[in-house]
Amino acid sequence: MSTNPEPVEQQPGSLTLFVRRRIKASPERLFEAWTTPDQFVQWWGPPGVACPGAEMDLRVGGSYRIGNRMPDGIEVWIGGTFERISPPSELVFSWKMEHVDAEPERVTVRFEGSGTETEVVVFHERLADEAARVQHEAGWVGCLDGLVSFLCG
Amino acid sequence: MAMARPQLAQTEDEEEARLDLIFHALANRTRRAMLRRLAKGPAMVTELAAPFDMSLPSASKNLKVLEKAGLVDRSVSGRIHRCALDPDSLRDADAWLDFYRGFWVGSLESLARYVEEDETPDSDPASRKNRSKKK
Repeated sequence: MSTNPEPVEQQPGSLTLFVRRRIKASPERLFEAWTTPDQFVQWWGPPGVACPGAEMDLRVGGSYRIGNRMPDGIEVWIGGTFERISPPSELVFSWKMEHVDAEPERVTVRFEGSGTETEVVVFHERLADEAARVQHEAGWVGCLDGLVSFLCG
Repeated sequence: MAMARPQLAQTEDEEEARLDLIFHALANRTRRAMLRRLAKGPAMVTELAAPFDMSLPSASKNLKVLEKAGLVDRSVSGRIHRCALDPDSLRDADAWLDFYRGFWVGSLESLARYVEEDETPDSDPASRKNRSKKK
């Protein structure tokens, strides 16, 4: 997408989604809400999805697990490890649905702002494998969703 | 919104290999432009080559990459090669994006509601705790 904020360290060839939202709270407050399991379980998930539990070993290399109870009652757990922790502005962690046998994806969350208003930016990358990465030209990362919408919309 | 991960029609390995081909095909400006042209309707190879000031063999080479990725279908009638877009291959990437776009937009909405209610000075912590955030 042409409106991407400054890119995270995206790998050429990865499929990247980004979502952002302005929230009336300080980066510190948001970082706390995201990294404190007691608070996290109270807000995590889109409408209809409840969070039955969350575990976080908040250090680089530490793992986390997030429960997601779907509207049909099925629980899906997501897990991974923290790759970067920069309070209160950034969190990077790997992301994998535990029941799916696939390469981990990566999520970067940024809290950009100060005082009473923060823009929360989420980058979610589906990484291409090494061989594909080498072949890919830099520069188109993040454009695929726009292209897909254009082609399929 | 669908909450299960999109079902993959093939095994993970096949799926990954297919995605590799797709991403490789899309990682080239000329090929993306060819796809945009084809999004408007089928075209002959000569029509696809013209805007890029490209030789027919070169255009054909790029089309082969798009074909191999399953993005484009080529039909031959006599000496006329006709190309058309086959968007099926993009559906997996599209499904992934759709799923997580909905997931993250919804989650950030929930986060906003949680912390913004928290900031309201006269909010009652007890009622906040008991109020269902998932309607």
